[in-house]
Amino acid sequence: FIFDFFNARLHFGCSRMQMYPLEMEGNSNPKTTNKPKYSKFTQQELPACKPLLTPEIVIAAFALIGALFVPIGLASLHASRQVVELVHRYDASCVPVDDKVGFIQNSRTDKTCTVTMTVPKYMKSPIHVYYLIDGFYQNHRRYVRSRSDKQLRYKSAAHLTSDCVPEGDTADHAPIVPCGLVAWSLFNDTYTVRVNGVVTQVNKKDIAWKSDKNNKFGKNIYPSNFQKGRLIGGATLNESIPLSEQEDLIVWMRTAALPTFRKLYGRIEKDINANDNVTVVIQNNYNTYSFGGSKALVLSTASWIGGKNNFIGIAYLTIGGLCLSLAMGFLVLYMVKRRNFGDPSNLSWNR
Amino acid sequence: MTSERPLIDVASPHPPAAASQLPPSQPEPPVRADHLGFSVEVPGPFRPSRRDQPDPSASERELHEGGEYRAVAVGEPSPEFAGNAVRTAKYSALTFLPRNLFEQFRRLSYVYFLAITVLNQLPQVAVFGRGASVLPLAFVLFVTAVKDAYEDIRRHRSDRRENNRLAAVLAPQTAGEYLPKKWKHIRVGDVVRVASNETLPADMVLLATSDPTGLAHVQTVNLDGETNLKTRYAKQETQLSFSHDGHVAGMLHCERPNRNIYGFQANLEIDGKRVSLGPSNIVLRGCELKNTTWAIGVVVYAGKETKVMLNNSGPPSKRSRLETQLNRETVILSIMLIGMCITASVLAGIWLLNHQRELEFTQFFREKDYTTGKNYNYYGIGMQIFVTFLMAVIVYQVIIPISLYISMELVRLGQAYFMGADNDLYDESSRSRFQCRALNINEDLGQIKYVFSDKTGTLTENKMEFMCASIHGVDYSSGKPACGSSVVVDDLLWTPKMAVRTDPQLLKLLNNDSSNEEAKLVLEFFLALAACNTIVPLVLDTRDPKQKLIDYQGESPDEQALAYAAASYGIVLVERTSGYVVIDVLGDRQRFDILGLHEFDSDRKRMSVIVGCPDKTVKLYVKGADSSMFGIINKSLELDNVRATEAHLHKYSSLGLRTLVVGMRELSQPEFEEWQLAYEKASTAVLGRGNLLRSIAANVECNIHILGASGIEDKLQDGVPEAIESLRQAGMKVWILTGDKQETAISIGYSCKLLTNDMTQIVINNNSKESCKRSLEEALARTKEHRVASSIGSPYPVLASESSGTVLALIVDGNSLVYILETELQEELFKVATECSVVLCCRVAPLQKAGIVALIKNRTDDMTLAIGDGANDVSMIQMADVGVGINGQEGGQAVMASDFSMGQFRFLVPLLLVHGHWNYQRMGYMILYNFYKNATFVLVLFW
Repeated sequence: FIFDFFNARLHFGCSRMQMYPLEMEGNSNPKTTNKPKYSKFTQQELPACKPLLTPEIVIAAFALIGALFVPIGLASLHASRQVVELVHRYDASCVPVDDKVGFIQNSRTDKTCTVTMTVPKYMKSPIHVYYLIDGFYQNHRRYVRSRSDKQLRYKSAAHLTSDCVPEGDTADHAPIVPCGLVAWSLFNDTYTVRVNGVVTQVNKKDIAWKSDKNNKFGKNIYPSNFQKGRLIGGATLNESIPLSEQEDLIVWMRTAALPTFRKLYGRIEKDINANDNVTVVIQNNYNTYSFGGSKALVLSTASWIGGKNNFIGIAYLTIGGLCLSLAMGFLVLYMVKRRNFGDPSNLSWNR
Repeated sequence: MTSERPLIDVASPHPPAAASQLPPSQPEPPVRADHLGFSVEVPGPFRPSRRDQPDPSASERELHEGGEYRAVAVGEPSPEFAGNAVRTAKYSALTFLPRNLFEQFRRLSYVYFLAITVLNQLPQVAVFGRGASVLPLAFVLFVTAVKDAYEDIRRHRSDRRENNRLAAVLAPQTAGEYLPKKWKHIRVGDVVRVASNETLPADMVLLATSDPTGLAHVQTVNLDGETNLKTRYAKQETQLSFSHDGHVAGMLHCERPNRNIYGFQANLEIDGKRVSLGPSNIVLRGCELKNTTWAIGVVVYAGKETKVMLNNSGPPSKRSRLETQLNRETVILSIMLIGMCITASVLAGIWLLNHQRELEFTQFFREKDYTTGKNYNYYGIGMQIFVTFLMAVIVYQVIIPISLYISMELVRLGQAYFMGADNDLYDESSRSRFQCRALNINEDLGQIKYVFSDKTGTLTENKMEFMCASIHGVDYSSGKPACGSSVVVDDLLWTPKMAVRTDPQLLKLLNNDSSNEEAKLVLEFFLALAACNTIVPLVLDTRDPKQKLIDYQGESPDEQALAYAAASYGIVLVERTSGYVVIDVLGDRQRFDILGLHEFDSDRKRMSVIVGCPDKTVKLYVKGADSSMFGIINKSLELDNVRATEAHLHKYSSLGLRTLVVGMRELSQPEFEEWQLAYEKASTAVLGRGNLLRSIAANVECNIHILGASGIEDKLQDGVPEAIESLRQAGMKVWILTGDKQETAISIGYSCKLLTNDMTQIVINNNSKESCKRSLEEALARTKEHRVASSIGSPYPVLASESSGTVLALIVDGNSLVYILETELQEELFKVATECSVVLCCRVAPLQKAGIVALIKNRTDDMTLAIGDGANDVSMIQMADVGVGINGQEGGQAVMASDFSMGQFRFLVPLLLVHGHWNYQRMGYMILYNFYKNATFVLVLFW
């Protein structure tokens, strides 16, 4: 529209037919000089750097990138391989009957399930306990939007549930706190861990992000009317604990970007030796059967790059290797078949 | 006009029929340029000047054949025509909102944004917050509306100021009483009195002026940017009638309002006599009266029907090539967007289908609201697919770079600012900055391949300087800086403003023995120079009260130079009215009656005056181009003299001087009377006056006795040779299109280093189609030969032709172009011309210039740039992809028609090679960046 403005001014000038009052000769008042003021900006003389991509510079740049990336890749690959990770899928084995949905929806069935794993390598504490869900679209548009961040943060905003339909208000129009599908579908399997038969404490403190606890969930907001509808989505919440302390909820509310995701359940703050037996008693409550998803339990140690993740190391190695080989290739070309720099006869239209 | 016909047919997409089938009369008088089949629309004010063509114009045809005219009773305001109130404001308080919104939404991008915003308001589809999506569009609309409103208020104000200005209008019932009246109340038919330096309130026909001969001078700077004074006349009949009884009564018939500034046809019935009126009898709204104490005129066009208002249109708009390409890409992107949305919605449908039975309980979908038992936000798979499609449109909308158009406009604005603020493009002498008049073709400056340049005023300064004279076969060309001569008038010293170098020998000859036969001839020569022109001497005050400066104002710089030259030799033109001139001949003031004037026109290429000398003889002075003059010279009498003059002319033109031949004839009494009779009859003729006058001129301009010839230097502008050299090094082809004759053009070509001695010149200069064809074929053969020869030497033809030293230069003249552009020969001309690295076209008419530009533009993809300064370059400037106007001596028409204007030719180098390059590169980078950025953004989402 600024363009418009300029154009319109031109137009306006034209309409009066006084485009540029040509000065008459002899009228040489120095004040009326039209000369543009000198400044480095208007004359486009500001210092600038525009590197020429000479063969030397290109080869050096590629070599440098390769030299940096290959060690980084090696280091992160090594770190990733140090991580010990146990994954155990239990959704199928924990339901003994064929009607899995019916089994899980029935509140009277005993859903206890025991899983035993053998630790292949020494695991140094802290050992993270995750639950892994597959096929759960936490990134689905109607799911992601179905929450009220204001309500989670401010006491006065409890009634702001318009985004949360159909889990916004109860039948008698009382607001649900926390409202929305996200909170409603809170994961509710529980794990009890025994190492070699000894019950080992799973520490569920500080599993959520600090910033979430402090800034996104209010300290004076308590759950109310939660999970009271006809359809139970998942876990219930203790109404005497403020939302900022409901760390399972906070972890869950940080929605995953992909349909396969793992979320932190707790930490075991005790080392586990190789060949130790880890027995986990699972309360298999959560319904992944209705949408064909799967659940798994993950025990993992951590290194400086986080959990087990070979991808970063491989990616660094690939790019680094590619750059190094390019640098080598260019170097060879440069040595064998050198071209004059700035020779116009090499331009495509001159050939 | 005759020379343009062929061109018209050739350039027209529907050959001859288009031109010949035009109806004889049209509601709007057909304009010369309108006949062209070119793709560029030529708006009215930019039409080539037709000052020098008094032939029956389109408007005249309309007046007499179509019978469409308006009748105005002098002194009786008639309410049936438009009033004099003008309105440039677009809106009123009521219409502002709808009209402004309508104007704004004419841009495609706004409509697109609006559609997206509306989609976003649907609760099912809403992706972003509803309010948030309205904000940007609302903001832009609001700011533009405020800006428009502000401007419109300003326009309202200026309209009001304009409409409420006062003018002295003859009160209808009183006799000769002029009362102040607001401009808006002036009506057609009112008689208005205007004093010196006042602006004219409407288009008026002059009835009388303070000058007894009915002369008035007007300045038309507001109309066409030309600063020189133009002479307008009141007809003797009305002037006399006015001076007798103080008022004029009559009936005026004039053509209907039209845009042609330089044309007017009317006749006035006064005392039962019919007086015809032409363009020289009308003064237009917006002009200022100068050097005339008062003038009285009758309003013929008022308000929005005045020529200035009819010509009120914005700068021409061209579309840059980059933008055209961008539009193509945008279409592809739209297809891509639709494809992506379809893919997304189809995939969503498949997913829904697969999970159909699970949707009810799935935690992340929950199709039912159990409190009400209804489906929540779920309308079945078909509808769901459609909603997904709309949502996808919103999510992926960024892939269509609508915002890029706005960014581009902002960038161009910045570039225009940088170009305007560049010190290298600032012309010290005319104190003009670079101006971007068309804002959307900045980046085209970096893609120019052909530069078409006018010569006069573009390559040269158009400051003419009298250099040498050949009088009676003797060459006087050793000029010395002279002090100039002055004239004593009423104890005051009048000095011509410009001193010219004088030849001492000639000066001596003139001053010493005036009885000598030779000296008499010399005197006649300078008298002819001083008298045979349309120069108006203006007397300016200087600081010294004893001294006054004479400033010669005229439409032709050549004439100015000649008048100054005559003044330097002591023959000073002191005063000019329509009836006589006062010339100070070597200190002796003499009055010469101007009995008749045959104006210069481009067909005759000469002008003549018939002068009644103080010694009661009647003399005809003629001056004109040599080609036209040698045809009417009586060669039998003084063959040696003619030969010598011809030789001198050749010498002058090879020096790059503009030449004029001056001749005279003494008219015998019967001859004069016969002429006078015919002249008076012709001047009052209504039909075909121009042709009649021309034939009379042709009758009397014969058997001319040659006086001599003059050489005027047209100085090259600074840095022109270097600029042309740089442009050629950058791979651009520079063509010069000039109205000068071949020798002059070639010599200018040499002096600006366009032509060099090692070039092979191919000259095409023929008078018939067959010979043209032959020479073109020859030329083609030569270019082939040349190409073969050069390609042996080097594998790269471009480099070879630079290095091998045999560059081809093509020189074509206007006569041949008539035959070439008319026919299939132009294909061959194109082939020859593209092989040559230099092309010079001489003796070309304005429309031929446009034809040559079109020749290249229509046959190649290369960008063309035309640069010129005069009205004759307008058609070429508008035809080319990029038109550049030079703020020069020849007025503002070229600048008004151009896309860019600047002060000097050499600025082309920084403009094209620095700014053009940067503009193109930066714009290209920005567009690519935007495309890739959007693609990344959207494709990540898509994946």
